[in-house]
Amino acid sequence: MAARQPFTDSDTADEAVRATCDDATTCKRFASSKGYWKDPYIQYFVRSVGERKAPEINRGYYARVRGVNNLLDKFVRKTDCNCQIINLGAGLDTTFWRLKDENLMPKKYFEVDFPTVVARKIHNIKTKPPLSKPLIETHSSDSLLLDGHSLDSDRYCIIGLDLRDVVTLDEKLRRFQLNPELPTLLLSECVLVYMNPAQSSKLLHWAAETFHTAMFINYEQANMVDRFGQVMVENLRRRQCNLAGVEACRSLDSQKERFLQTGWEHADALDMMTVYGLLPQDDLARIESLEFLDEKELLQQLLQHYCICWANKDKLRLGLSQLSF
Amino acid sequence: MAEEDKSAELLKEKANNYFKDKDYDNAIKYYSEAVEANPTNAVYYSNRSLAYLRTECYGYALADATKALEIDKNYIKGYYRRATSNMALGKFKAALKDYETVVKVRPNDKDAKMKYQECNKIVKQKAFEKAIASDEIKKSVVDSLDIENMTIEDEYTGPKLEDGKVTAKFMNDMVEWFKDQKKIHRKCAYQILISAKDLLSKLPSLVEITLKETEKITICGDTHGQFYDLLHIFNLNGLPSPANPYLFNGDFVDRGSFSLEVILTLFGYKLLYPDCFFLLRGNHETDNMNQMYGFEGEIKAKYTAQMFQLFSEVFQWLPLCQCISGKVLVMHGGLFSEDGVTLDDLRKIERNRQPPDSGPMCDLLWSDPQPQNGRSVSKRGVSCQFGPDVTERFLTENKLDFIIRSHEVKPEGYEVTHNGKCITVFSAPNYCDQMGNKGAYIHLRGSDLKPEFHQFTAVPHPNVKPMAYANSLMQMGMM
Repeated sequence: MAARQPFTDSDTADEAVRATCDDATTCKRFASSKGYWKDPYIQYFVRSVGERKAPEINRGYYARVRGVNNLLDKFVRKTDCNCQIINLGAGLDTTFWRLKDENLMPKKYFEVDFPTVVARKIHNIKTKPPLSKPLIETHSSDSLLLDGHSLDSDRYCIIGLDLRDVVTLDEKLRRFQLNPELPTLLLSECVLVYMNPAQSSKLLHWAAETFHTAMFINYEQANMVDRFGQVMVENLRRRQCNLAGVEACRSLDSQKERFLQTGWEHADALDMMTVYGLLPQDDLARIESLEFLDEKELLQQLLQHYCICWANKDKLRLGLSQLSF
Repeated sequence: MAEEDKSAELLKEKANNYFKDKDYDNAIKYYSEAVEANPTNAVYYSNRSLAYLRTECYGYALADATKALEIDKNYIKGYYRRATSNMALGKFKAALKDYETVVKVRPNDKDAKMKYQECNKIVKQKAFEKAIASDEIKKSVVDSLDIENMTIEDEYTGPKLEDGKVTAKFMNDMVEWFKDQKKIHRKCAYQILISAKDLLSKLPSLVEITLKETEKITICGDTHGQFYDLLHIFNLNGLPSPANPYLFNGDFVDRGSFSLEVILTLFGYKLLYPDCFFLLRGNHETDNMNQMYGFEGEIKAKYTAQMFQLFSEVFQWLPLCQCISGKVLVMHGGLFSEDGVTLDDLRKIERNRQPPDSGPMCDLLWSDPQPQNGRSVSKRGVSCQFGPDVTERFLTENKLDFIIRSHEVKPEGYEVTHNGKCITVFSAPNYCDQMGNKGAYIHLRGSDLKPEFHQFTAVPHPNVKPMAYANSLMQMGMM
């Protein structure tokens, strides 16, 4: 193998992608501290509440968190917890701990992200009892399988790898007892957009091939062909953050197509403005009174350029296509 | 003591020790275990509440304090904790009630008394700001400043006022200084603000001007701290001068990263050309908006809280609307929640205050046009939305031709609605670095008073975060 040069373009791009994990986490930390939603675990991943975020950002994250959780919880209930969840590009997400608290744990919860991100997360889990206790409680033996870039327990497993390397992904998940027979939920939040179309197709195809009964929830950009979308692409490019997969983010249709063309049977998509309107009204009223938003247009534009797309294949005829908002 | 109680106490001791060592995470963990072992002990909740306060989890701190009091309503520390949590959450009235309780039960507790008084001060201050405060009740920052004896150090090489006066040379120097992201000396800033306050306070709430046949005026909308885009307007359209009058229609600050530079430039030109440079108040020239959307944070970071106080006072004296040649009315927001408002009513508005929750002053700063007839509840939750018929009636009754307003971002920088009778102009291009909109300004000639629209796009600016919250540029993409 040829010696790799330090700091190639792709290194910079990958580093920028890893940094988005911090953006998401600090935004979620701030919004939850302000009361938009409860997340008692995120403080163990980022201590300080940090600088104030604009109200439209807080509301946007609220819609994202509530929207994704809505579908995820429905899937777990539909399968009576007899399922698996794989969070692709999970970052410092706290869903596993939430599901445990709410008695909605799947048979096993897998998280995958870049090795450096995973190493950080493992370190936090190891050193913060509120994070490690739930793992230890649900593990049968005294010790967890642990190395620099992976942690495995009976109900929770986190693996460091590059999602563009589907062969390794498959190998490592199986090594940690992934069961292709179980109904499986795959989740990606602002992940696919950072890979080029060929790479994300491979990933979606692998998922469709591996699981006969599954749902894939994808949260990321949509409707990107207008001025706002161009400005976003430009802003991110200036941070060395390339939206290599922005092609699939042209519209809700293109988001659905990418699933239908890689072996998924059925796909739905809604932009976040629509999702926002479908969330429980009384909680929406509550969060809208937390902070005054001076320019509603900003929120609208932001929400219209993100979507939740969910696809399924349903060999076991569980009725996965009924799962919606 | 029962077995569980004993072990719960041990856990609490353990937690207390961690707390002493400032290891709040472990303190919380062990308080939580103590709670699990014995959920009927108010002290555990109260102690955990304090640990949560230290880790800025104010919501949880409040919940724990409340729980402690549910268990034991006589637990004084619980009231303390709850009050502190409420203070952190900005709920001062609620905090005051709890401090009051503590003081009643412990009349000799000096610390309790002090906290009560501090909190009371804040509550009173907020009450003043809400009430119709006249100048006598509220002391001005101006009275506590001693400008004469403020010295400028030799090391300062930036622009200075000449004999306390703004000159064209000073304005050029200041703008260049700002372009390089440098600060002017606080004495100069104070001089500008004090003079601006003095000048603006002598203006009526409705400013009336007449354009001569050969004259034209340029009307700009929101600029929102986008200093480099403001300079771009001056490049395209020429610097302000007696031959090149300008009207800036509010929302000079907030959201953009360079609100200070924008507002000092605008105040500077107002002082330099008082009769041909006009400023109207926008809804962002108010305390509530400044607190949330960056301006207060920016001034506190670049200067002091006292200087922000002075800005707030100056903003209160900004006129609310302007009538041009008796035919065109300009205001930041729009028209009124009720029919029958006359120009005379507007002249009589006592504007030296924060805008009330309703009424003509509020509407001038907050309302929006709507396409359908009649009025509707505002999407903003303040003021109203008004239809073409409302505009028509108002114009007819006041013998006006049309209104120009701002307040709403528009993709093309401007919009003509209500059959040409309601024009929106917005001058912050690519608003918040994300909207991709154009900016626009209007030329109004004295000869025909027909609006001529000019559009422009955003120019690059240094990548500086707005002061009160991290730039949307960074969060862009909710990644």
